Formats: sequence, structure tokens, C-alpha cells
Amino acid sequence: MGEVIVITSGKGGVGKTTTTANVGTGLAMLGKKVVLIDTDIGLRNLDVVMGLENRIVYNLVDVVENNCRITQALIKDKRYPNLYLLPSAQTKDKTAVSPEQMKKLADELREEFDYILMDCPAGIEQGFKNAIAGADRALVVTTPEVSAVRDADRIIGLLEANEIHHTHLIVNRLRVDMVKSKNMMSSDDVVEILAVDLIGVVPDDENIVISTNNGEPLVGSECLAGQAYMNICNRLLGQEVPFLELDANKGFFQKIASIFKK
Amino acid sequence: MSSNVMIKGTKSGIILVLDKEADWDTLKQEIGEKFRTSSDFLGDAEKAISFQGRDLTNEQQQEVIDIIHENCKLEILCVLEEDPKKEEAFAKTLEAKLMEKENNTGFFFKGNLRSGQVLDVETSIIILGDVNAGAKVVSKGNVIILGSLKGNVFAGSAGNVDAFVVALDMNPVQIRIADTIARSPDEAPKKKKERETKIAFWEDGNIYIEPLDKDVIGDIRLS
Repeated sequence: MGEVIVITSGKGGVGKTTTTANVGTGLAMLGKKVVLIDTDIGLRNLDVVMGLENRIVYNLVDVVENNCRITQALIKDKRYPNLYLLPSAQTKDKTAVSPEQMKKLADELREEFDYILMDCPAGIEQGFKNAIAGADRALVVTTPEVSAVRDADRIIGLLEANEIHHTHLIVNRLRVDMVKSKNMMSSDDVVEILAVDLIGVVPDDENIVISTNNGEPLVGSECLAGQAYMNICNRLLGQEVPFLELDANKGFFQKIASIFKK
Repeated sequence: MSSNVMIKGTKSGIILVLDKEADWDTLKQEIGEKFRTSSDFLGDAEKAISFQGRDLTNEQQQEVIDIIHENCKLEILCVLEEDPKKEEAFAKTLEAKLMEKENNTGFFFKGNLRSGQVLDVETSIIILGDVNAGAKVVSKGNVIILGSLKGNVFAGSAGNVDAFVVALDMNPVQIRIADTIARSPDEAPKKKKERETKIAFWEDGNIYIEPLDKDVIGDIRLS
């Protein structure tokens, strides 16, 4: 029986879609059968980030409206054969799908897949309700900014109200230098405010921008963000993985500079 | 009473079934008798008539209609052809004519189509503007884009494989012609290409994209 995980944040632009793409790909790399569902109807992105846009023929709304079978709409990833994407529709809006239909869809996919990842749209309206409808657990993504943390807090409250108690936190785009200079909240600060278990900290990394633009998730690569995402995947599978030392990977000149700073 | 003549009713008219072998003069008599006896039943409606069982010349058809008018109050308005072959041929020509009309007429659209916008037309279409990624053009005929194509196009949506797509700058996500779908290559081109007018067309189950030169234009079929 597969597990349905919703990736949500409340605030837009904090990295839900990037997280979905990387965590999904990471789980597939670890041998799990995974399907990613883009529930952001009308503003679809996940297909672009995965580099699968040119393969779309049918979408989520077609499946729900019975215009096609689920298997016809599922797009097989070009890198990992056990990874699939169910793209969203671009020409409809959130009302094209109801939470009941999403729950039914998730339950059907449960039979077939180990993990079903729901990429949730920003906001707390219909799209959010659709995305969480069938979920067993949630990954709440936030950045270390007061506005994002405030929205994450609201989202955690709404998840609890909807009987989703298995919630983990991902702190995204952390900048260690700014944390050190006390200009940014640390991941500990965020956890203290939100009081949910931390499952990963992803540093702000320019490789993310490059990978997103190329449609190639960077999970599993050497860069810090790639390692951080792979650690999240391993923790999802129940392993104990120590948190990354985010400032360990400094360049040669930065290392010398830090010696002089001392 | 012989069964050389039979009258059948349909929604819009009556079908007169005539014996193939019978002598024409006796047949005429029987027709008259048949309509006289069923005059009350048939009433005084206006009907169309068609003939079955025997091929009649135009004069013979007229004779029969005159006999009917003499013997009952029915008003025969027209004669319908009941030949299924002829009917099929007629339907085909009509459809072909309609297709031709769709392919050879088109309309203009001015503006950029942005992500999520769909332009769905029955005819061919000329777009004065760009078609962005995430936007879609659907046409039963041809699609000509005087701008950049960066989104999806579906030409010949009713199944016409002669439909084609032209764009001043051809970088589609997907092009579909009739039932064939072509998608863009996964590897983005390293260098920025020169802007070049290209045509996408269907041939033997594949979609080809080529520069729009004189030879290619010569091969275009406006079916």
C-alpha cells in the first residue's frame, strides 16, 4: 500500500515544486516506485521543472473527468523508469477538481505506487483542499523569513484540522553566512516557532536555479542542495541521517578568509 | 389482390415498392387501385415519395405521381432517391466540399497567446503574434504563425493529414497533425539558432520540420 505525501507551504515561491521534483526523483533513485501529481491546476510548473513538458497529452483534469485512463495520463520520467508524473491542466482552474475526486484518485494510485507526492499550489483555497484530500502525511516547506514562517504556521494548523498529524518541516534556501551574521533565522529558530519535526534543511544554492531551468532535478549530486535532498529522502524512508554541516563545503579562498577572521 | 404494389410510410414520406417483373401498364392500374382503396387512410397530407424494387425513368415517375394525384388526396411534393450508393457518394462530396471550405478559408488573430490560453478554430488560422509555452492552437485546417511558436499546435484536428504549420520562429513544445504527435527534443540546443521560417508537415506517419523554401511550398497540398 503506497503512502500519499502532500508538499505544501501556504506562501508561494518557497520551493514546493522544486522540493517535490527532487524528493520524488530521490525516492525513485532509492528504488521506490513514485508518482508526482501536480495539483496546481491553471499554473502548472512541475512538468517544466522535471523537463517533461513536451510529453504531455492528457492531464489530471482529463483523468478526473474520465476523458482518459490514468495510465494514459501518467508520463514516465526520462531518467528513472520507476518515476511517473501526472501533470496538471493549464487551461482550467482549481474548481475543475473536487477533494473527493482527488481522494479517489490517490486511493487508486496507492495500489500501484510506493509513494504518491502531491505538489500543492500556494494558498489555502480549493487547490490546497484538493491537494491534501487524500494525504497521509505532509511536508511543509518554508524559508527562514517571517512571512513564510507565518504562512507555514497557518498551514500546519489547517493540516491538523484536516486530521493530517504526520507533518514534517523542510527549511529551504537557508544562507549560513546570513544566519551567522544574525541577519537570518536559523533552522532551529524556525523549528522553535513552528514546533514540528525537522526533516531537512536545504541551503540556498545557485545550482538549484540551474537545475530548475534545465529541467533536471539535482538530488543526489555532489552539491550541498543535492545532498540535502537525498538526506530528506533517506529520512522519509525511516533512516537516521545526521544533518549536513552546511558551511563545510567552503572554497579555498573562503577558508583562508575565515582563518584570518578568527 | 396482387402484391405487385406496396405502400410503406416513413416519417417524411411514403415509399412505393414496385414489382420488378410486372407489366408496366398493369402495374399502373394496380397503383391506381391501391391508392384509391387506401385514400381514406392516407388522408390529404403533403408527402415526399421514393421508389423501391424497380428503376423508373423520369417519365414513368411522373406518370406514377399523376396516377396518385388522380386517385387520392395526397400531395406529392418531391421524389427522393433511395439508392444507398448514390446517397453515400453524395454525402462524401458534401463532406469533401465542406473540408475544402474549412481548409481554404481562414481567419486572422492578432495578439500573443499566453500560457493557459487556447485558440480553437474550425478553419485555418493566421496568428499575428507569438504562441508562448503553455498556450495551444487547435485548428481543423492549417496554422500559420507570424511570430514565434513556443507552445503547442494541433493542426488538422478533424484528421486531415495534409494540414501544416508554419512559424517565423519554430520552437514548439509539441506539434500534432491529425493523429500524429511530435515533441521537442529533450536536449536544448547549445547555440541560439538563427531565426528562420519553418514548416511542419505530415508524411507517412511522421511530422517533419523543414525550412520553408520554394521546393517545400511546391509540395503543399491544399486539399
